[in-house]
Amino acid sequence: MAWLRWLRAWCRTTFRGRQLDADLDAELASALDELAARLRRRGLAPAEARRQARLAFGGVAQAKERTRDERVGIAFERVWANLGYAARTLKAAPAFSLAVVATCALVVGANTAIFSIVKELLLQPLPYRDPARLVFIWSDLAAAGYPRAPLAGPELADLRERATRLEALGAIWASTAQLTGGDDPEQLRIGWVTRNLFQVLGVDPAIGGHFRPEDEEPGAPPAILLSWDLWQRRFAADPAIVGCRIEVNGLSTLVTGVMPRGFRLWLPADASVPDDLQAWRPFGRDIALGPRGQQYLRVVGRLAAGASPADANAEVSAIGRAIGREFAEYGATPPVFSAVPLHGDTVRDVRQPLAAVFGGAALLLLLAGVNIANLFVARASARRQQFALRAALGAGRGRLLQQCLAEGLVLGMAGGAAGLAVAAFAVEGLLALRPDGLTRVSGRFDLAVLGFNAGLALVWSLVVSLAAFWTVAGREAAGEGLLRDAAPRIAGGLAESRLRGALVVCQIALGLVLVVAAGLLATTFVRLQHASLGFSTGSALTFRIAPSPGTYRTAAEINALQGALQDALAAHPAIDAVGAVSHLPFDSLPNWSTPYAPLDADPTAPPRDADARTVTPGYFAAIGAALVEGRDFTSGDDEGARRVAIVDHRLAERAWPGQPAIGRLLRADPGASGTADAVVAVVGVVRHLRHRRPDEEVREQIYFPQRQVRRSPLAFVVKTRHRPEAAAAVKAAVARLDPRLPVYDMRPLDAYFARATSVRRFTAVLGAAFSATALVLAAVGVYGVLAYAVARRRREIAIRLAVGARASAILALVVREAALLGAAGLALGVAGAMAAARLLQSQLYEVGPYDAWTYAAAGGMLALSIALAAAGPAVRAARVPALDALRS
Amino acid sequence: MSTKRGSVLRGTADLLILRTLELEPRHGVAIAERIEQLTRGEFSLGPGSLFPALHRLEQRGWLQGEWAETEEGRRARFYRLTPAGRAQLRREKSEWARVVAAMKHVLDG
Repeated sequence: MAWLRWLRAWCRTTFRGRQLDADLDAELASALDELAARLRRRGLAPAEARRQARLAFGGVAQAKERTRDERVGIAFERVWANLGYAARTLKAAPAFSLAVVATCALVVGANTAIFSIVKELLLQPLPYRDPARLVFIWSDLAAAGYPRAPLAGPELADLRERATRLEALGAIWASTAQLTGGDDPEQLRIGWVTRNLFQVLGVDPAIGGHFRPEDEEPGAPPAILLSWDLWQRRFAADPAIVGCRIEVNGLSTLVTGVMPRGFRLWLPADASVPDDLQAWRPFGRDIALGPRGQQYLRVVGRLAAGASPADANAEVSAIGRAIGREFAEYGATPPVFSAVPLHGDTVRDVRQPLAAVFGGAALLLLLAGVNIANLFVARASARRQQFALRAALGAGRGRLLQQCLAEGLVLGMAGGAAGLAVAAFAVEGLLALRPDGLTRVSGRFDLAVLGFNAGLALVWSLVVSLAAFWTVAGREAAGEGLLRDAAPRIAGGLAESRLRGALVVCQIALGLVLVVAAGLLATTFVRLQHASLGFSTGSALTFRIAPSPGTYRTAAEINALQGALQDALAAHPAIDAVGAVSHLPFDSLPNWSTPYAPLDADPTAPPRDADARTVTPGYFAAIGAALVEGRDFTSGDDEGARRVAIVDHRLAERAWPGQPAIGRLLRADPGASGTADAVVAVVGVVRHLRHRRPDEEVREQIYFPQRQVRRSPLAFVVKTRHRPEAAAAVKAAVARLDPRLPVYDMRPLDAYFARATSVRRFTAVLGAAFSATALVLAAVGVYGVLAYAVARRRREIAIRLAVGARASAILALVVREAALLGAAGLALGVAGAMAAARLLQSQLYEVGPYDAWTYAAAGGMLALSIALAAAGPAVRAARVPALDALRS
Repeated sequence: MSTKRGSVLRGTADLLILRTLELEPRHGVAIAERIEQLTRGEFSLGPGSLFPALHRLEQRGWLQGEWAETEEGRRARFYRLTPAGRAQLRREKSEWARVVAAMKHVLDG
């Protein structure tokens, strides 16, 4: 009951304050009347009675104020009053308020934006059932140059049979298929999956159901699960499609269901499973029967109850060792399996860049905080007289603190709210850069993000307002009277200008850290653009065609189509060279590799793994790859002819160091059967192509001629100086050959390269934005301190000038102060930058963390901005009229 | 509370107010006058103490204030004891009696 009464009273105070006030006024007025009436009754004249009553009553205002103080919840009213007062004060200083709010909005917004991305990507679990219990299984084929490799079918079967710490294991292999039937056939990105993959993940189809056990039987009629998007687009969102048959790769295929909207497979990037697969099919053969050398399965496991990822990891590696002993195929190299938490492995590539960006944003926050604290201090000292007056009139330290806090809060909250808008824009902009690892980010703000934003703004405003309070009111404690301090002086406020100087030094140092880090990231990005990839992306246009299996039934027919298209394009004047390849550089198709061994090598040595690609004659010329030895494929390298291959220079050097490679024989596996059972003759050597990662040389490479080792789909590469003309020529040539043949994915090779470097572009762009902001903030800080110092020392300067100092000496005085601040800041900054750069090291490419040029350039930029900031105050100081000394 | 005896008897204002209202509702000025009478001028509550105290007691639910007319026809805010206020008065009376007895014991003993 007591709390109910309290609540009622509180409500009255809060919502009916005006009426309570009116009531109180009436009561006090009537009491005054009553008192006067009583005095009249004792015989006083009405006017005198009134006067006496007033005297006896004392201050009506005080009585009223004290009565109001008794009200429950009046403290809230006080806060409002303080905030209102703060808002009015700040409105009177619009430039200051705007500067603070804008700065706060900018940095709080940047931090909120990046937090929202970090939260969604790193903190939020994957959208699967009990995602913390999911692990990804890798096979370490480091000996073959492939440390994170997929598993072979029998290996998955062994794990399923023996592992007790994993309750279920599912696998996928991404590929392509053709949606045939109907007028326009379409190339689909599909995943071949084990029946239980989606059950392992804990995602059920939105319509229809999972694959049935019989769908997985060898020779079972084909079945397919559609993605939501494909179902919407191609099947007009018709739920009746489930249970019907559609034609895939020319075969009637049963649609068992449609996966939920937005369902995507979030697997590690180097698992080469695109996250936007359009359909899934069960393997339809007994995967346990394949050869152990044919590794293609990406395996996801679900931990058994009570098992930790470490348990599972220990168990799968033990199983690897055991089967290595049991099966002769492994020779002396038993498989090395590992199980890692799925989420952590998925964000492995973006965690470091994001941490770097988050760190940068935090530094920016600090820098801006220092700037604002500086502004507050400057303003507070300008208002010292106002504070002194209020203190003299009886405002206690508490009241002054309340006011400082209120001002900080009003500014911080306004800044935080504006920051939310900034963050929304920023996230949109960041997602527009579309770094590959960020596809999972929706950019939606939830409560956690809003809370982060508000919390940041709150903490920030507390810190800056306390800084302001400390500089003004804190001095009172040191025995320095506020009023006395406010008196005109010549060189007073030393402690305060020292504090401001120290703050500016910190700012310059933080600025240098940011600029150096951004410089290193930018250098990395630029170096990457000029990395020697082994081919050139600038003038190449790529496209794919999808010959329908219905129309082109035999290899010869497809070969003829490709040959005719290539000939037609090669003859076009806008096209310099044309070729085709099974895997474009940096595309998202699953990698294809082959074991290989030189025929003359020790037969007991385990074969190494090489990236395998199928190409047509002219491909190397079209992407500008250099043939270092031998010849390109020709149309003569076809089915009936001797089996040939082109290798990269790294394979040649490794296999036959110091000797010519042409004419040598290799055992390899062009048919992807799992064993190196074919013998091919090396007819050419090309420079290594960095076709998977622009920043590192990957495995050795073997190229097979398309006419001997057919792969589908083929991507064409056209070398041209006139892209639009070439694009038109491609369309015309295809239409002439077969008007129903679709041309798709037509884009410059640059686009693939841009995607491969998108995370680095993301960090470089953000770094540049952060450091530009940092330069401006540091310059503003220096300007503020110097301008204030000059204003404060105006009288001193005027006296100096009056007694004969030259203007140049005055100029030197200010310049020296700027130089001192700058030198201290830069020295401190270099130390900080070196520490930060060490953390960035893994992000850098062809630039050391202590790259002297970057440090020098960053230092130069800061020095320049300091100089620009100092110029104004210095000139103003030199122009102080000497007469001022006499006037003031 | 301003008293002629200083602030030793802080907190007694509430008891005095409740006591003056024990028999009949009164308005503010009448309460102050009555306290002065009852204490023979030893205590006097100025408006700066009286009205805050009245509002505090009202918020606690011990008093109920309402506008009414005085004998001379002026409007004034009259306060009357609520049942809770009556209970509180009983509590404070016995509390005060204990204090007085204790003090008397100390001083006389």
